[in-house]
Amino acid sequence: MAKVKVATAWLDCCSGCHMSLLDIDEAIIDLAAVLELTATPITDIKEFPDVDVGIIEGAVSNEHDEHVARDLRAHCKILMVFGDCACFGGIVSMRNLFTTEEILDRYYHTEGTICDNIPSSEDLPPLTKVRPINEVVKVDCYVPGCPPSSKAILYALSELLEGRIPVVPSDIMRFD
Amino acid sequence: MKEITLTINDKQVKGKEGDTVLEICQANGIDVPTLCHLDGLTDVGACRMCVVDIEGERRPVPSCTYPARDGQVVRTDSEHLEKYRRQILELLFTERNHFCMFCEQSGDCELQRLAYRYQMDNVRYPYHFPSLPVDTLSDHLVIEHNRCVLCGRCIRTCNEIAANFTLDFGGRGWQTMVVADLDQPVSESSCTSCGACVQACPTGAIFSRLSAYRGVPSECERVTTVCPACGVGCKLDVLVKDNNIVRIEAPALTSPKGPLCKEGRFGLLPQTRSRVTSPLVRGKHGRLEECSLDTAAEAVAKALKDSKDSFGGIASPQLPSETLAMFNTFMREAVGSDLIDTIDGDSCRVISEGIRQFGGNGKGLDVECPIEVILEADLVLVVGADPDRTNPIVGNLVRRAVRQKGARLVVVDSSRNVFLLWTDLWLKPREGSEDSVVKGLLRLLIDKGLAAPERLTAELTKSLKQYAAPEVTRATAVDEESLEAAAKLYGEAERAVIVYGQSLLKQNDPSTVTALLNMAEVTENRAGDNLRVISLKPGANSRGAWELGVASRDVRQNGLKGVYLLLGDQKDDDELFEWLKGIDFIAVQASYHSPTTTIADVVLPSPIWAEREGKYVSMDGATQELGRVLEPPEGVPGDQETLQAVSRKLGHELSLSQEVNVGKG
Repeated sequence: MAKVKVATAWLDCCSGCHMSLLDIDEAIIDLAAVLELTATPITDIKEFPDVDVGIIEGAVSNEHDEHVARDLRAHCKILMVFGDCACFGGIVSMRNLFTTEEILDRYYHTEGTICDNIPSSEDLPPLTKVRPINEVVKVDCYVPGCPPSSKAILYALSELLEGRIPVVPSDIMRFD
Repeated sequence: MKEITLTINDKQVKGKEGDTVLEICQANGIDVPTLCHLDGLTDVGACRMCVVDIEGERRPVPSCTYPARDGQVVRTDSEHLEKYRRQILELLFTERNHFCMFCEQSGDCELQRLAYRYQMDNVRYPYHFPSLPVDTLSDHLVIEHNRCVLCGRCIRTCNEIAANFTLDFGGRGWQTMVVADLDQPVSESSCTSCGACVQACPTGAIFSRLSAYRGVPSECERVTTVCPACGVGCKLDVLVKDNNIVRIEAPALTSPKGPLCKEGRFGLLPQTRSRVTSPLVRGKHGRLEECSLDTAAEAVAKALKDSKDSFGGIASPQLPSETLAMFNTFMREAVGSDLIDTIDGDSCRVISEGIRQFGGNGKGLDVECPIEVILEADLVLVVGADPDRTNPIVGNLVRRAVRQKGARLVVVDSSRNVFLLWTDLWLKPREGSEDSVVKGLLRLLIDKGLAAPERLTAELTKSLKQYAAPEVTRATAVDEESLEAAAKLYGEAERAVIVYGQSLLKQNDPSTVTALLNMAEVTENRAGDNLRVISLKPGANSRGAWELGVASRDVRQNGLKGVYLLLGDQKDDDELFEWLKGIDFIAVQASYHSPTTTIADVVLPSPIWAEREGKYVSMDGATQELGRVLEPPEGVPGDQETLQAVSRKLGHELSLSQEVNVGKG
């Protein structure tokens, strides 16, 4: 049987959800036998091939994030989002409580990091309002958690491998 | 109440007329999700989680406010109801900041539990992200408005349970906020920091800053014990993690002794005072030096032998009956002195002497009524007492009676703003003349024909000869009109309760206590066998100490040479400290270093409230078992072990397993 192809991306996040994906103990050996990781931050392949499952960690926070989310959506059959930031906006969306100017001023001009100028370059994507993935592209399934527990990860992946769209059951769902 | 039958989810269930649909569901084990509902509070239907379908209604209705009727057909679990409920959750989550990962309440949050239940793994609506203030100025509470779902449970708790009316809704529509008074920081409001709202809040919107991030209930052990802060004897649920107190909750928030007060909920949490962890003896250079228990016991025994007849013992009324009984035996048998008292012994003697003079069929303190009787009162007369300060739950019951039951409130107090803004009538006599007011009121009751003639005795009338209204006015500066108004209110009330306390007892006049009891007697203000009179006792076990005979006599006037002070973790008493300065030898058994320990000659360690076992007798006579919450630190023996060690040095063996039977059951 051909391996199920998976591509992943991290957007505005702390990468903790990807760490948790790798932190599922011995189950990772069984998964490696049936999953093939293609373009992921772990393999450092940038171009998404056509895959069966796309996984996104993190919220959409700038134009680049939006581009990546659309790109992965276009290349995958099933899009699973991973972690509270991708599902709801999470901790990174706290930025929405302030304006972009206030955030940049706070970050670059107050205690801790004092710079003369806020970096600007046409290569830097402008910041937008932080949004969960389903505000940008269609999402097929969600695994919340900050980060998702290994139980929830394993549940979601095994359901996908069985050909079902997973909905994390109440008893293993966690938002923290 | 008429029984009614409903069909809920195709099952026949029974309830009473007047029940809501939710109450009947809950009584019959039918699970309906709720959020703004809290048992014991008025339902308002704010959150709409409990919506149900009722045949004949065009749309789902909130079951918590919907009156049940005979023959109703109810559906609680259909697919479209579940869809509505999840939709409501999503709307709640988008309204403010409900991201759990940095919330204090995560793991103990009703909103979170509901979201798990409805497998809310995404939200279909855009988030609002309002930037709302966080009120962190209070020493006890934090109000995090961003976490608020506007269920109003805190507000209803503040009004109906704490009877404090501080919290309310401010603003309109989606700008509605929970506000304190006129939208002030809660620290500058009328909030008494009783913390009932903390326990009522279903999310992380109101939490205790003293307990925040110390541990969630699922990680804690829950020990039930009795509050050591005053005589009311509220039950406490203490949550403990790794031998540390995480938080204190009320086991039954909506019961009469449920809400707890600032002292019970927050004041007992880990202390900053430094602990006595080893016996100390004053050494050669006049400094307190650490030593073994044996050496310290030897030093006490030596002093005791030197001045046997002039050695007194004073105990804290916060100690359990078992320890007090042993202290009694220790003083009387091992030391051979009957000079033994409690710190609040004076008040106890005034009360008991007053009751003795009154008679009361030898029932002693049992002539008085339990504090719950206040809730049924149509008038409360507070004399020389500030319940809000000394016994806050009594204050709470008085305010509940006034606000919820329409009771009138008359205060006779010279010194403080007792129940400010709550009183119907405030008699403010000259300081120390409350006793004359009481006797004047008793005489007015008789003179105005408000007393039952068969209850009057010639002796009673004679004793009131000098308390005619004009004379009372001269003595107390309370005008006749007010006196008459007060007597009329009291005499005409059907269930008038008298509450008296510290500032009256300080006047050291038992005849005032007798007069108060006579006021209730002549107006036949009885609740069952008891008179509707309540004396406020400051110590958690004042009544136990009194019944054990520990508060037998005033030892402070006896020209003592030495004192054995069993202080425990009671805070220093200024009067006692001043008196101690004149004593040659002081041995103190204390939990914390304090001014008293600095002037002591021998300091012995003592466990704190949470480390003790035993029983308390509450001020209305109930015997309650303490739960041991914490292990004492190393080097701190039990109070009884320490007494035993000292006693041995005196050649007397004290038994540790003394059976003590005081109070009721």
